[in-house]
Amino acid sequence: MEQKDKLFKQIFDSNSKKIFHLCYGYTGDSDAANDLLQETFLKVWQNLDKFRNKSLISTWIYRIAVNTCLTYLRSEKRQAKDELTDNIIENKIEEFSEKNEQVALLYKCISKLEENDRLIITMVLDELPYHEIADISGISEGNLRVKIHRIKQKLTELYNQYASV
Amino acid sequence: MQAFDQIQELWQKHEVEVKVSADEMLQQVKKEVGGLKLKSALNIIAMFASFLSIAALWIFFHFESWTTHVGISITIIAIGVYTLILYRDHRLIAKSDFTAHPHEYLNNLKTYQLNRYKLYNSLYWFYAIALSLGIIFYFVEILSFFSTIQKIVAVGLTFLWILFCSTILRKAVIKREKERIALLIEKFERLSEQISMPD
Repeated sequence: MEQKDKLFKQIFDSNSKKIFHLCYGYTGDSDAANDLLQETFLKVWQNLDKFRNKSLISTWIYRIAVNTCLTYLRSEKRQAKDELTDNIIENKIEEFSEKNEQVALLYKCISKLEENDRLIITMVLDELPYHEIADISGISEGNLRVKIHRIKQKLTELYNQYASV
Repeated sequence: MQAFDQIQELWQKHEVEVKVSADEMLQQVKKEVGGLKLKSALNIIAMFASFLSIAALWIFFHFESWTTHVGISITIIAIGVYTLILYRDHRLIAKSDFTAHPHEYLNNLKTYQLNRYKLYNSLYWFYAIALSLGIIFYFVEILSFFSTIQKIVAVGLTFLWILFCSTILRKAVIKREKERIALLIEKFERLSEQISMPD
């Protein structure tokens, strides 16, 4: 058990920041991102014995995090409580604006994207290799490239559109 | 006009701070699963302590009237049976670990929720009636040593206490426990949906 705890801590220390950023990008809210991070690592812990090194552990964790994010806001209760990401983002804008207007704007633009696109672009922004993103999201690499190109364009458009207002 | 590269640079420059450490996370994971178990165990320990106290009272004090023995017997049986039911339910959530067998744990949690509902409703009334009956028999001998005012106070306070436990306290406990278990089930259901993920 101690061995497992030790391994878990190592995995947490080397992956938590990226996973938190992914969750933050998805929700735009640090508390919600923190909840998602905890759920992700709870699943990592309980499935650690089943991990068979077929893929990189980071890819495996990303996949868990992506599933967690997608399921999280679909929960009826969570939707009622948090009134979906857009509202969370809107509420957090004021908090952001004083610190960093551009970052706040970026999160707002990400929130305007489709759920899956939001997660994909977050991984792109974090410079994950395309083959890994394809593996995590279950999309073929060819399709993913087209999709990423489209999401990048959309995000850039949105960003420039809001920035010019 | 910003290009995507600049947006990416902005994203990467934005430092995020993870609020939990690996140790806290590990603690959290274990606490989440163990919280309900601990509360249930404490409940059983408290009931068992009551059982032992009444048994000690019966053994170490000399009671003359048969009514006292009947009263204590009824009370002790009621507490014993209720404790056994609590223990049976406790085993449901104690025997499986969510982190090891999530689906089994979730099913047990749902059964536990149903059992607790029965425990606080139909079964509770059997328990309250048995306990009241036991106390009535017990009081026959005990109250004979008291003055009339003391008798009224003792009977009145006991009656009010049973009434309080059966109404306000029972409802509050049901509400709190229902919310707690429902939240756990909701959370574990969400987690279980992804347990069978591919490696």
